[in-house]
Amino acid sequence: MSDVPITPIRPASAYPTPLTSQRKRVALVIGAGSVKCAAALGLWRALNRAGIGIDMVVGCSGGSMYASMMALGYDQETVERLTRQLWTRRITEKRNTRGLLGAFLPKVFGFDARFGMVDDRAVWEALSGPLGGRRFEEAVIPLHIVATDFMNAERVVLSEGNIIDAVRASIAIPYVWRPWKIGDRLLMDGCMSDPLPVDVAIREGAQIILAMAFESPFPRRIKSATRFAFQVNSVYTNNLLRANFAFHNLAHHAEIIPVLPEFDSEIGLFDTHKIPHVIEQGERATEAQLPYLHRLLDGIAV
Amino acid sequence: MDLQVTTELFESATVVRVKGSVDGLTADSLTTALQSHVNEGRVRLVCDLSGVDYTSSAGLRALLGTLKATRQQGGDFRLAAVQPNVHKILELSGFTSILKLYRDVDTAVASFSA
Repeated sequence: MSDVPITPIRPASAYPTPLTSQRKRVALVIGAGSVKCAAALGLWRALNRAGIGIDMVVGCSGGSMYASMMALGYDQETVERLTRQLWTRRITEKRNTRGLLGAFLPKVFGFDARFGMVDDRAVWEALSGPLGGRRFEEAVIPLHIVATDFMNAERVVLSEGNIIDAVRASIAIPYVWRPWKIGDRLLMDGCMSDPLPVDVAIREGAQIILAMAFESPFPRRIKSATRFAFQVNSVYTNNLLRANFAFHNLAHHAEIIPVLPEFDSEIGLFDTHKIPHVIEQGERATEAQLPYLHRLLDGIAV
Repeated sequence: MDLQVTTELFESATVVRVKGSVDGLTADSLTTALQSHVNEGRVRLVCDLSGVDYTSSAGLRALLGTLKATRQQGGDFRLAAVQPNVHKILELSGFTSILKLYRDVDTAVASFSA
């Protein structure tokens, strides 16, 4: 993948017109979910076809990558191609030997909070293609990315600065990729605090929220420490997702429209061959909501 | 789709049959219908959701409000024939752990006699 940022193929003017004073503010929230987040591309396709614009995009963890590329104005085909390039075993196959030695022999090799079992250079390189050098201020659609402060557990919303840093922080899966420093904060995976950040959209003034949620996958077999880490993360992230989803649905009066793609089989972390199916199911799940969404946007009070 | 709400009274419970989507455009009418039963002391309610294929956050708020109101008065609010799309949302929001769900109306009504 090239290190040179790719210029969006589709100009901003080609997207459905977003925010106007006449209609409600619509947000798209793409939750954590690794490769399943590619379903957001199907959602995007369905919305574009229906001429429904989005006023803001919020992403968490895997969802932050899609949120970023959509907000920057990449066309769907490019993002699909980038997805195939990104979700390969290459991004987790190289161990962070120094970090692992430090975990077992801290006095000899040293150990600090920036621990991860996997060398993160491959994932950084993969992200550099579409996101390198790009800033939030360039986004065609306002973009917010969620991460978690490793030192105090606070949810952190990133809305300015370098997008690649924000995404890298948001996908810093505990134990797997080391936490990422932005300013004076050490950040890690947004799914540790807010796996489906509809509250960010509400805070930013969204009245209608398309919330694309995924439960984190469980590895088929736990045959390595990395898989073990993924398993642990999935257990608590899924529980946190349900707790947060319930709270935000009941505590706020914004209309949260869950978009929950159904997959005909388990989607593993590196099942890139299933991406077309994932996208198709995202599109299908969105199409099911379009009649209701149209009625909401037609001005009938929520 | 407009929401249709009808009621059937049984000895052990009141069945509220709902048809349509329970969402931001219709949840108020469902809340009003359910609340009217609670106000009249019918607090053992069964909500037949066999005709409901979608609920949004507004629908969840309507269900929870009714659950609280019935339980505060010593009754309960139970769901019957929940369709897969709605069940998925109830599960994701944790409602399946606080609401009692039954496969059909008869079973739900019978549960109040048990």
